[in-house]
Amino acid sequence: MTTPSRLPWVLRIAIILVLVFNLMALIVLIRENPIAFTLFMFLGQPLFAVALILLFGALAAELRARRIL
Amino acid sequence: MILAAGAAAGELSVPLPHGWIGTTSQWMTGFGIGLVVLNLILLLFAWYRMRGADQGPSVWGWLLVAVGLVPLMVGFVTFSHGLESSATVSSCGSCHTMTPFVRDLTDVKSDTLAATHFKNRYIRENQCYSCHSDYGLGGTIRAKLAGLGHVWRYTTGRYTVPITIAAPYPNSRCLGCHGESQRFLNSPTKKDMLPELMSGKTRCLDCHAPAHPEQKKEARL
Repeated sequence: MTTPSRLPWVLRIAIILVLVFNLMALIVLIRENPIAFTLFMFLGQPLFAVALILLFGALAAELRARRIL
Repeated sequence: MILAAGAAAGELSVPLPHGWIGTTSQWMTGFGIGLVVLNLILLLFAWYRMRGADQGPSVWGWLLVAVGLVPLMVGFVTFSHGLESSATVSSCGSCHTMTPFVRDLTDVKSDTLAATHFKNRYIRENQCYSCHSDYGLGGTIRAKLAGLGHVWRYTTGRYTVPITIAAPYPNSRCLGCHGESQRFLNSPTKKDMLPELMSGKTRCLDCHAPAHPEQKKEARL
């Protein structure tokens, strides 16, 4: 189970992953470049998926710790 | 005289419709950039709010919005924009191997089939993609997968020059536009050979080549 002291680190990693995802999205939106789009599709989106898993994992752990789940 | 006419044409521009506010694509791009900026602000805010030892319900709410909800919207807008913009001529021309093709395409003096279609606006936009993808959903999927292969070969250098088409160019791509045109169907030169053209026994390019200029066997740049 995720301990309260580890929790912020997991969430901070999730935030950093979403930050990278956003920067990749910004490049795709500004420049018409197939390489940037391919990178966004096959690197950016999996990073976002990992961030979501971390977020919901941390949330589930928090709910279990508070005996809500 | 030709130069003068060209200069005059260069100064002219097609008038925009009354109340022009941009294209849907431009608005989607702006909306997407706005969402990214909003998400960056929310991420900073969530990071700041997490400094406390205990994560209260409001922090989780901010995190769900900043890490879950808004990025989902960013992803959707970016995906649709990327899919759309990867079909443009400028996107195809962004790889240097395509430079001779795009240069010929936009050359008003060129008589190749591609340039003729481009300069007369027989195809209004996304000219490369329109001619190099089949019609229907299957055609789009195959074109995108082929594009993925092109990106892979380009970035890893696994290609040879001169560039060649992967498979013989099918008549169905020409007939998708021309096939139901009355001018085409009633053309005295084509009327007799319509069955052969429709079945693909005679290729359109047998008479209408070259589609693109001949490439020089040059070293990779």
